[in-house]
Amino acid sequence: MSIIQQHTQATLSDAWRTINIDALTEDSPVNFDVSTLHPPLPEISEADARAINGQVRQLLRGGDAEGALRGCLEMPVYNGSEAAKETHLHTVIEVLQSIKASEMTPMLQRIYGQQGGSECLDVLMKYLYKGMGATSSSSAADGSGRATPARAMTPQATGFSQVGQRPMAANESTGSAMSVLLSWHEKVVEVAGLGCIGRVMTDFRRV
Amino acid sequence: MAAPEVHHLFHHPIADHSFSADRQTLAIARDTQVELYGRVGNAFKLKDELKGHDKLVTSVDIAPNTGRIVTCSQDRNALVWEPSPTGYKPTLVLLRISRAATFVRWSPSEAKFAVGSGDRVIAICYFEEENDWWVSKHLKKPIRSTITSVAWHPNSVLLAAGSTDAHARVFSAFIKGTDQRPEPSPWGERLPFNTVCGEFLNNSAGWVHAVAFSPSGDALAYAAHDSSITVVYPSAPEQPPKAVISINTQLLPFMSLFWNGETEIIAAGYDCEAFRFQGGEQGWQLAGTLEKAKAGRPGLGGEDREESALNMFKQMDLKGKVSNDDTKLKTVHQNTVTMLRPFEESGGRVTKFSSSGVDGRVVIWHT
Repeated sequence: MSIIQQHTQATLSDAWRTINIDALTEDSPVNFDVSTLHPPLPEISEADARAINGQVRQLLRGGDAEGALRGCLEMPVYNGSEAAKETHLHTVIEVLQSIKASEMTPMLQRIYGQQGGSECLDVLMKYLYKGMGATSSSSAADGSGRATPARAMTPQATGFSQVGQRPMAANESTGSAMSVLLSWHEKVVEVAGLGCIGRVMTDFRRV
Repeated sequence: MAAPEVHHLFHHPIADHSFSADRQTLAIARDTQVELYGRVGNAFKLKDELKGHDKLVTSVDIAPNTGRIVTCSQDRNALVWEPSPTGYKPTLVLLRISRAATFVRWSPSEAKFAVGSGDRVIAICYFEEENDWWVSKHLKKPIRSTITSVAWHPNSVLLAAGSTDAHARVFSAFIKGTDQRPEPSPWGERLPFNTVCGEFLNNSAGWVHAVAFSPSGDALAYAAHDSSITVVYPSAPEQPPKAVISINTQLLPFMSLFWNGETEIIAAGYDCEAFRFQGGEQGWQLAGTLEKAKAGRPGLGGEDREESALNMFKQMDLKGKVSNDDTKLKTVHQNTVTMLRPFEESGGRVTKFSSSGVDGRVVIWHT
């Protein structure tokens, strides 16, 4: 095999196609922090999230479910620690589970009709999807029967954590939490339309 | 409101369409070529094909006065097609971009045009007499991603651009020797090339699909992928805008929009139909669809299929259920609408507009 042929084979290889040319361009998006394109969001600490949780519970006890729902949707945790985000997700799911099925649609319609209501339902949709992700990725539930976003709440480090986490009872309550989220999802789409789902996927602000 | 005029040209997506000034010629960007259709009675018949690009043609625009056609393509080139007695003659434009050209529009003065690209630049192209050559200058800063659409201000100096970095921006595209010094406007007074006169982001920061200046040029509207439309009213140069109004809708995202006077915007997109927005500086709202409820949908044909027993059993046999052909949408367009353009104007209002989409239809609507 002559050198020329080897040379040609090397040239003909298509390895160059896998070169990331964006990395070689100085001002390409790869070399640029995309987060600077958006205005910074206020940071919410875990303590703040717990404070909101307390206020929302108080409203729930007082029978003002709509106020509780609006309250937690108006203060989404966009910028905060993982723990703060989980706490807030918890708060939202707690409120959702305390509202009767027959009250869902009228309540959503009232919220949608108010100033900033569309934004509120977008936030609710984000938490619904986050809740679904959390309940399906792990099947844990805490004693009170609420769906628990398990990653933060069950920090056991045993090698057999998965085995320990799957008794029948927990599975059932995960199922019920999921069905609550799914029925809320259906109702939110009825009120806020498909645009709401599109906005959740588009939005750079993640809950 | 008269029924829309439907022209089903072929079963292939239409990237862009443009009518000549007399509305007798229709240019369609189809695949790697541009097809010219001439009006024959009530229909449009293929009369010429402009072949010069070797990748998908992304945009086409006919200059109303000079009759020149500009096209741009994913092959990174733009061509200006000069009408001559023996057909259209293409001239290559030096764009100097290394990614696809995505969008092209003539300025109202027709002396220059803007080409948006995936190379994070907008090329402003103008004719250099001494070299007999179309050359370009780049608008670069602070674009961070692909330009999806551009729109000219009536003064032919300001240019709005929407981008996948979620921003709608207003630039000065002033070319010395080509342009007259513009009148001062709320966007700015002194406007050297590449002045950024405005940079806007909406709440959820989706890709911007379409931008448009209002007829006076004193307001800017843009549609983003979060199913919203945002209208911006600038106050004075270097000042924050007077009002930025965002309307989130329950619909799917809009791909194209235009202004009908100062108080109405018509937009269409993934919902396959056009919607009307009305409002002003105090607020905007969705006013409804332009699609008529049920009757008067020509062009679809064969809809009133006989509901005979034979037909019912045929359906049962074929599909296992009785259905009224549920593959057909209830809208005139049967797929995403990608482009809207004013078709006929009188007294500052658009009386007719045209739309084209992925379904290969061009439809002329009454507003």
